[in-house]
Amino acid sequence: MKNRLKVLRAERNWSQQALAEELGVSRQSVNAIETGRYDPSLPLAFQIAEVFELTIEEIFLRD
Amino acid sequence: MSEAARLPLRRRPAFWAAGIFVAFGIISVLRMTDAIGSTTGFILMVIAMLQIVPLTRASLAKQRSTGHLSPAIVRYTRRFLLASFGYMLGLGIAVTIADRVDLSEIESFLIALLPVIPVLGMIWTMARYLIEEEDEFLRHRAIMASLFGLGGVLTLGTFWGFLETFEVVPHIWAWWVFPVWAIGMGLGQCWMALADRRANDGLGDES
Repeated sequence: MKNRLKVLRAERNWSQQALAEELGVSRQSVNAIETGRYDPSLPLAFQIAEVFELTIEEIFLRD
Repeated sequence: MSEAARLPLRRRPAFWAAGIFVAFGIISVLRMTDAIGSTTGFILMVIAMLQIVPLTRASLAKQRSTGHLSPAIVRYTRRFLLASFGYMLGLGIAVTIADRVDLSEIESFLIALLPVIPVLGMIWTMARYLIEEEDEFLRHRAIMASLFGLGGVLTLGTFWGFLETFEVVPHIWAWWVFPVWAIGMGLGQCWMALADRRANDGLGDES
């Protein structure tokens, strides 16, 4: 699944590590989601949406 | 120059892994050529195994630097380290007793439990890791690596079993399933790490 995580993170000037800490996951998890190698579970997707104050659909896009 | 290449030797996991591998190789050759006895061989194996402590430290430091470390991994590593020492000790004691004492069937059964119990501890440690890991991506990776190892052991075991049935290959002991599965799991982790590196090379990873 495609996502806008990297762009959204860059807009806020957040590092992968900072976002990972905010989400309570490893930096590698953020990296894997950003690069499209791992699709997060629904609870984690909701958590990501909450951190960015957006809806899931505004972050994750259908292929 | 890569980050790993800049690290001093004693902080590289590969250095300690190679140390264990080389030490075990030398001890095996010395045993096979009867240059040392079984007791000396066992003591040397235990000393060689001590390298697992710096190997673990270096591995944890590397995992921390690459963002793969979680509290569950730290607990898993400690438990696995303890079980590994238990295994070496149990195996050494069992082999030493079996070589020197004429055992009854019940006694042989009890002696066999000495290396089995620590291996059960390793399996329990892996199960606990999957339960305790809160990072879903790391849990997903561990499950994928386990399945990779399982696929390997089922393929090799079935293939070898039929070759054995038709007397093409010699018999091998069933306890090999666990090390073969663990090696397969390690290969699975390496394969995923390589895929990660390739993906990050293309997209520019932040370390």
